[in-house]
Amino acid sequence: MTAAPRSPKPPLTYNGGMPGRDDLVETLLAGRTLLADTPDHLLQVVDVLESYGEVLDAYSINLIYQAEKQFLNPFPVFRFLDGDHSPAKIWRHLIHDRINFEYAEYCQKAMLWHGTGGLDAYLDSEAFAVNCAAIVARKTGRDPLLAALNPLFPQFLAELIRSAATTHALGQFWRVMSDLFIDLARAERDGQVNSIPTLVTFLKDGLVAAAGAPITYAVEIGGDRFWVLPPEAGLSFLADVAVPYVEAVFLRGTPFLGTVSFNAQAQQISPDLAKFTYGALYADPLPTMGSGIPPSLLMQDMYRHLPERLRQWYLGVTRGEGDMRVKICMSFQKAMFCVTNAAIAGTFPHPLSGTDPAQREANRTYAAAWAERLCVARTDCLDDPG
Amino acid sequence: MLSALLLIPFAGALGLLCWPGDLATERIRRAALALLGLQLLWSLRVLLAFDPSEAGMQLQESFAWVDSIGLDYRLGVDGLAMPLVLVNTALTLVSGICTRDLSQRPRLYFALLLGISGAVNGAFLSENLLLFFLFYELELIPLWLLISIWGGANRGYAATKFLIFTAVSGVLILGAFLGLSLFTGQADFSITPVTSAQLGMGTQLVLLGALLIGFAIKIPLVPFHTWLPDAHTEASTPVSVLLAGVLLKLGTYGLLRFCLGLFPEAWALLSPWLAGWAAVSVLYGSLAAIAQRDMKRMVAYSSVGHMGYILLAAAAATPVSMLGAVFQMVSHGLISALLFLLVGVVYRKTRTRDLEVLRGLLNPERGLPFTGTLMILGVMASAGMPGMAGFISEFLVFRGSLAAFPLATLLCMVGSGLTAVYFLLLVNRAFFGRLAVTPPGDPVADARLEVRLPGVALRETLPAMALATGVIALGLVPLGLGRVSEQTTTAMAQLPAVVAGLQAGGLLP
Repeated sequence: MTAAPRSPKPPLTYNGGMPGRDDLVETLLAGRTLLADTPDHLLQVVDVLESYGEVLDAYSINLIYQAEKQFLNPFPVFRFLDGDHSPAKIWRHLIHDRINFEYAEYCQKAMLWHGTGGLDAYLDSEAFAVNCAAIVARKTGRDPLLAALNPLFPQFLAELIRSAATTHALGQFWRVMSDLFIDLARAERDGQVNSIPTLVTFLKDGLVAAAGAPITYAVEIGGDRFWVLPPEAGLSFLADVAVPYVEAVFLRGTPFLGTVSFNAQAQQISPDLAKFTYGALYADPLPTMGSGIPPSLLMQDMYRHLPERLRQWYLGVTRGEGDMRVKICMSFQKAMFCVTNAAIAGTFPHPLSGTDPAQREANRTYAAAWAERLCVARTDCLDDPG
Repeated sequence: MLSALLLIPFAGALGLLCWPGDLATERIRRAALALLGLQLLWSLRVLLAFDPSEAGMQLQESFAWVDSIGLDYRLGVDGLAMPLVLVNTALTLVSGICTRDLSQRPRLYFALLLGISGAVNGAFLSENLLLFFLFYELELIPLWLLISIWGGANRGYAATKFLIFTAVSGVLILGAFLGLSLFTGQADFSITPVTSAQLGMGTQLVLLGALLIGFAIKIPLVPFHTWLPDAHTEASTPVSVLLAGVLLKLGTYGLLRFCLGLFPEAWALLSPWLAGWAAVSVLYGSLAAIAQRDMKRMVAYSSVGHMGYILLAAAAATPVSMLGAVFQMVSHGLISALLFLLVGVVYRKTRTRDLEVLRGLLNPERGLPFTGTLMILGVMASAGMPGMAGFISEFLVFRGSLAAFPLATLLCMVGSGLTAVYFLLLVNRAFFGRLAVTPPGDPVADARLEVRLPGVALRETLPAMALATGVIALGLVPLGLGRVSEQTTTAMAQLPAVVAGLQAGGLLP
C-alpha cells in the first residue's frame, strides 16, 4: 500500500561498534572503562545489578543449602525448597512461582566442567581424595543405596562430592557478589557512584576487598563434621573461585541447545574447552526466552526483581513490556563487561600509574591477553544506549 | 432475501461515494465495516433460510429486466453458491478490517471494496448467464483500481496485466454464452444443461473450450496464470486476501456451474484431458512455488497449484469429488486469505518479504512469534494436515478422483507433497534460526546485529486468528459444509448421466 510522506520509520537494526584488539589494550591500560559512560548505561547497569544481586542472594542461599543439607542425597527432589516443606512453598514451587534455581546449577556445572583455577586443582589433589574417602566411608555406612553403588562405581560418590564442593564454593562467591551489587545500588542512590568509571571502581574495590576471603566447606554426617574444602587447602575468593567462575561462565560457557549444540556434529565446536567462546560476554541476547536458552531462566528471575526505575525505562524503549527479558539480557551483558572491567583492573600485575618499563610491559602483556579474548566478545553492546 | 446481498454493498458503495462533505478516514472505514458486517449477517440469515435437503436453486427472486436480449434479473442459491457467498461476505469483512494506514482516497477504496463484494455475490447468485457475466465483469474494474492505486511500486504493470488477462477471459465467456444462444436459436440465457444437448458435439466442444479458457484465466490454471503472481506481489494485503480468497473462486465456480453445468456431455468427453491439465497445473504451480524467494509470490504460486485440485475434481465429476471441489474452494479461500494476511503482517513489520533475507521470525520476544505460529498453522492446513480444512478437501478430491483418473490423481498427490516442501522452506527460512531482517553479509556482523522490529498488536492479528479458527473448525467439523453442499454436488455429478439418459430415452435430440 503506498504510504503518504510521514515521519521516517525508525531503523529496524542496530549495529554497534566493535573496538579492535589494540583499542581494547589502550582502553584497559589507560584505566578507561569498556562501557561508554552515559546516564542510560549507568541506570541500566546499576539497576540490573541490583536485581541480579537479589537473585544471587536466593541462588547463594540455595546452593549452600544444597551442598550442606542435600549432600549425597541420591534423590534430591526437594533441593530447591531451602528446607521449607510447607504446603504453601511446595504449591508455589509447583506453579513455578519461584526463582529458577536451575540456572544456578547450570553455572555450577559449567564451573565443574571447565575446571580451572585453584579449586579444581584441589579437587584433584591427594588431600581431597583422603577427605573424600573418609566422607564416603561414613556416608555408605548409613545409606544402603550408596553402599551398594559405591563398590560398583567407585568414582561416583567422589564426583558427587566434587560437584557439591563446587556448588558450595559458588554459593560463597555469589554471597559476596550479591552483597556487592546491592551495596552498589545503595551507593548510587547515595551519590557515591554517579558514572560508569566510579561504578567500575566501586566493583573493583569490592572484589579486591574480598579477594583474600577464605573458601571453606564442611559437611555434617552422623553428628560428625567432615571438611570437604578445609582451611588448610588455602582456597581464596578471588584466585580460586572468582577467576575460575569468570573463565567458566563469562568467557567459555557452554554451547546450549537452541543455538549451537547440534553444530558439534559438524565439528564446528572446538574440542579444546579453552577455546570455547559461549560465555556471557559472547552470548547473543536476541534468542532470550527461546527454548533451550538457559540464560532465559536468569532473565526471568531478574525480571521478578527488576527495580521500578529500570522497568519504567524499559517500557519506553523498543517493545516496552513485550521484549523486557531481551532488554534485561542486553543490560546484563553491559553489566558483566563492567564486572570484567573491574576484575581486570583489580588484577593487573602492577599499578597502571607506574613508570618502570618492565612493569608497564607486564601490564601491557596482561591487557593484551584480555584484549585478545574480548575483541571477539559482544563488545558491540558497549556503545549501544538502548 | 437474496437481493439484499446486492443491495447492501452496492447501496453502501454509492452512499459512501455520494455522502456530502468531508469524512475522516476512520469514519469511512467504520461505515464500510458496518455495511460489510451487515452483509455477513445477512448471508448467515440466508444460510438459516437455506434448505440443505434440496439440490436445486432456492430462495429464488426474479423479474424480467431486458427481456428482448434474454437478460433477466434472476437470483437463486444452491449448495454450490451458498458456501461461496459466505466466504465472500466473510473475507470482504476481513479485508476491510485489515485495511489500515490508508494514505489516499479512503472513500473510493472502501466503495470499491463494497462494489467488488456485491458483484461477487451477484455472480454467485445469478441464474441467468448474462446477469452472471454482468457481475463477473463488474468486479474487474474495481479490482484493477484497487491494484493500480493502492498497489506496490510496480502496480501499473501488474494491474494492466490483470486487466488484459481478465478482459480476454470475459470476452471468451461472453462469446461462449452468446454462441450457445446463437446455435440453439434461443434468447433464453437461463442455466439449463439440456440446452446444449441440442447442439452437435463439435459445437459443444468449441463453446466449452472458450468457457474453459475464459475461466482458466480467472482461476488461474497453467499456462494462463502469469498475471496472478504479479497481481499478488503488487496488491496490498487486503486486496490479496480478496483476490486469493474470493475472486479466484469465480473461475472455479464458473467451471462447475457453466462448463460442467451447461455442457455435461462435452465435459465428460474432455475430462481425461482436463484431469491431465489439472495435474500439470498442480505440479507446475508447486514447483514454481519452490523456486520463489518472495513470500507472497510463493503463496500466489501455491494458489495456482491448489486450484488445479478443483479442476481434477470437476473432471472426475463424482459425487465425492464434486463435494471435494466445494470444500477445496472454501478451504483454499480461508487458508490463502490467512497466508496472505500473515505475509502482510511480516512485510509491514520487517519491510521485506525476501526469503533470502528474513530469518528467525519466531524469536519469542523480538520476532513475530504469534504471527509465525499462525503461519505454521496456515501452511500445515495448506499442505493438507489432518484436523484442518485442507485435509478434508484434498482427501475428498483425491478419494473422488482416484478411480476415474488414477495417474492424474497420483500426480496431484505429489503436488500436495510439494506443498509441504515449499511451505516448509518458507517456514524454515523465514521463521527459524537467528532473527535477521537484512541481507546476509559478514557472518560475524550478522550474528551481532540487533533487530528492533515493532511488535504486532492484538488487533492486527485478530482477522488472522478468526481465519485460523475457521480453518480448524472446518477441519474438525466438516459436516456442516458437507450438509449444505452435498445434495447440489451430487446432482451436478449426475448431470452427464442424466443428459445421456434423456437422450437415450428420446427425450432430447
